[in-house]
Amino acid sequence: MKLTGYRNLLFAAALSLLPIATTAAHAAGTLTVALETDDGSWDPIDTFTLTWGRIGSNLYDGLVLRGPDLKLYPGLATSWQFLDDNKRIRFTLRQGVKFHDGEDFNAAAVKFTFDRLLGPEGAKGPQQANYTSIGSVNVIDDYTVDFILKTPDPVLITKLAGYGAMIVPPKYIQEKGDTYFNLHPVGTGAFKFVDYKPKVSLTLEANPDYWGGAPKLSGLVYRFIPEAATQVSELQSGGIDIATLVPISLIDTIKGDPKLEVESITGPDVVMLRFNSADGLTKDPAVRKAMIEAIDRDAIIEQIMQGNAKPIASLQSSLSFGYDPNLKPLPFDPAAAKAALAKAGVKPGTNVELSFIGTNATFREVAQTVAAYLQAVGINVALKSYESNVYYTDLVPHGKTGPLYQYQWGGWTFDFDNTAYLLYHSGQFWNPYIKDAKLDQMLEAQRATYNVDERKKILNQIADYAADQAYEIPLYNSNTLYAVNKRVHNLPPTPDIRFRFVDTTVE
Amino acid sequence: MPIYILKRLFQALFVVIVVTLLVSYAIRLSGDPTAMLVSGGGAISEADLQRIRAGLGLDQPFHMQYLNFIGGVIRGDFGKSFFGGTPVWTMIAQALPATLLLSFLSLIISFLISIPLGIHAAVKAGSWSDQIIRIFSLIGLSFPNFWLAIMLVLIFSIKFEWLPSSGFLVYQGLVLPCLTLALILSAVNLRIVRTAMLDTLSTQYILVSRAKGLKDRVVLYKHALRNCLIPLLTFVGLQFGDLLGGVVIVERVFNWPGMGSLAFDAISARDYPVLQGTITVLALMIVLTNLAIDLAYGIIDPRIGRK
Repeated sequence: MKLTGYRNLLFAAALSLLPIATTAAHAAGTLTVALETDDGSWDPIDTFTLTWGRIGSNLYDGLVLRGPDLKLYPGLATSWQFLDDNKRIRFTLRQGVKFHDGEDFNAAAVKFTFDRLLGPEGAKGPQQANYTSIGSVNVIDDYTVDFILKTPDPVLITKLAGYGAMIVPPKYIQEKGDTYFNLHPVGTGAFKFVDYKPKVSLTLEANPDYWGGAPKLSGLVYRFIPEAATQVSELQSGGIDIATLVPISLIDTIKGDPKLEVESITGPDVVMLRFNSADGLTKDPAVRKAMIEAIDRDAIIEQIMQGNAKPIASLQSSLSFGYDPNLKPLPFDPAAAKAALAKAGVKPGTNVELSFIGTNATFREVAQTVAAYLQAVGINVALKSYESNVYYTDLVPHGKTGPLYQYQWGGWTFDFDNTAYLLYHSGQFWNPYIKDAKLDQMLEAQRATYNVDERKKILNQIADYAADQAYEIPLYNSNTLYAVNKRVHNLPPTPDIRFRFVDTTVE
Repeated sequence: MPIYILKRLFQALFVVIVVTLLVSYAIRLSGDPTAMLVSGGGAISEADLQRIRAGLGLDQPFHMQYLNFIGGVIRGDFGKSFFGGTPVWTMIAQALPATLLLSFLSLIISFLISIPLGIHAAVKAGSWSDQIIRIFSLIGLSFPNFWLAIMLVLIFSIKFEWLPSSGFLVYQGLVLPCLTLALILSAVNLRIVRTAMLDTLSTQYILVSRAKGLKDRVVLYKHALRNCLIPLLTFVGLQFGDLLGGVVIVERVFNWPGMGSLAFDAISARDYPVLQGTITVLALMIVLTNLAIDLAYGIIDPRIGRK
């Protein structure tokens, strides 16, 4: 039969084109983690996604290191001190560390890393903007460097623990070029690069010479799985050990499986509905406050988030520097809300658009619930959903949203400065409506001081001021959710999901 | 004949250029990738965004960007992804075999299911078995493919743990996505084969061959089947575009790293070079497949070839 021969030929031809996949899910000592996105480059200066940070923390080290307890520890620098009235930071470097390709880590590597980040190569990426307080890096000797600061930056030491500040190998990059380095990363971290298949997986192996001690795992595989349901079914069937995309609707399914456990812990993400406070109905702070009082946020946390979120009064979680436990959210009080709306002259049946991103099923439910609560005090809400790219590139920056619009922000630094500056300072890209000189002055003042108590005081004042102005409805601080197979041990709860697998073991 | 092929090739080229032009323009209307690049970043200013746009060459006018892309294609350079700078051709070289493997296998499996069943249903028209086959096809037609995919995962990966639920494993990983696509394709193809066969069986030459005393099997598979293949092939040509597009959902559920996933991700991230590259290759493939099918008619039905 001719057809059969032809079919075999076709099949064989197709097979020969394929690299034979080798992902043994449960190979001895190999841990497999599913991540939502593939960033396409493993160069620290190219991206700012959470997924990159999750991988980068195992490939590279910064001068400082942040543990799962969110405290800062010595990394590639053993100590640092602020000199010259905080205009210079002197780092003493760790000796005897080698990059994965065998070249020595030293002061020259630190200088190369920051010159690259702050130079034309870094200008192509989003990381440069975070490190502009650094004027220059001077080599004092092989194991001492000085950072000369242009402007004060009290969050700089935290920022040196991640992303663009990860130390890269000078010789390797100069010899192989940038494109090659993007796809064949080399760092000093606990795991070494083995293989990258775009959109499929990134495979790492243990670095036995790691300065923090050899990892207990032999290998680490990251699989890129954008669909939450697929991640969960892979976790159930044993194809992965950790799912990092766990929808609330599937928590019970995972909990029903004796092999698996769900971690639901306080994380950095805050979810809010912001107001167009520049014009229209929501220009009046009294109306904005009434809308907050009209919504039962605790019920939303209980019913929709099924308890996987915390109430908030400002745009930060309890883990954030600048969090004030004494600041309480406005209570749920529809009667007061109705009265305030009447007093402000808002007629029952007034129409308001709520703009949001349509892809998140959980938030869609939240938006519908908010609409129902506002309906109850006489405001008709039209829900309008947008595609995320349109939302972030066009709608929000250019102030084309409805009077109410969805926003959420995390910030891996766990410092209120990041969120507050971005969302309250006038002229900021994602702040189309708020222009307030007093607020700008406070935001700039906390950036200009290294005095911890002073900064905390100002950050508290900023949160109070914003709550008093009611620039947004702080809905909740959503928990960090991930699910783990019970064969994984020594994995401390990690609020930012930037697991470092140095001490982790698998059965 | 060669002149006809040349003409068709020029037409194909024209179609591909129009398609890429439309897609490149439309994607640029709907936003740019810079916001995605800086999402999660610190305090980003308009100046930062301008700097990043210039780095990606997005500060040039559209016609320049498009001409650069076409110029690159002519030189065999599809450019680099905005996200990480992987050469687009590298990505396509990985995704294309994955998708071709999936779609061709699904097509072949669907032929193996639909041709015998369709012929059986036509020969036994009106019988019990015909009814059952038609009900099966109706069910297949009404299943959304993502639902079928998830059901198969629930049964074969989670309940029985026989097969992986997702991922790029050549043998085991192919079974479920192929089955999903093949079942849905079979439902359609079955009806085409059945209808075409019923038409053919009532023609004079079949009556003549039967009167000659040829065996049923010879009549069906040698004489009648050839005639049924023509509508089926036409349909496959049309289906091929659908198949390449329709694998998007199935590829996503099974995390199969093919062209569908690549194009889908490129659209979400506004990764223009990757989208332009995948669309160019897909458009070329669909156009060339249809050309190949037109030429195949001549082989199946000598009357067409002689014209």
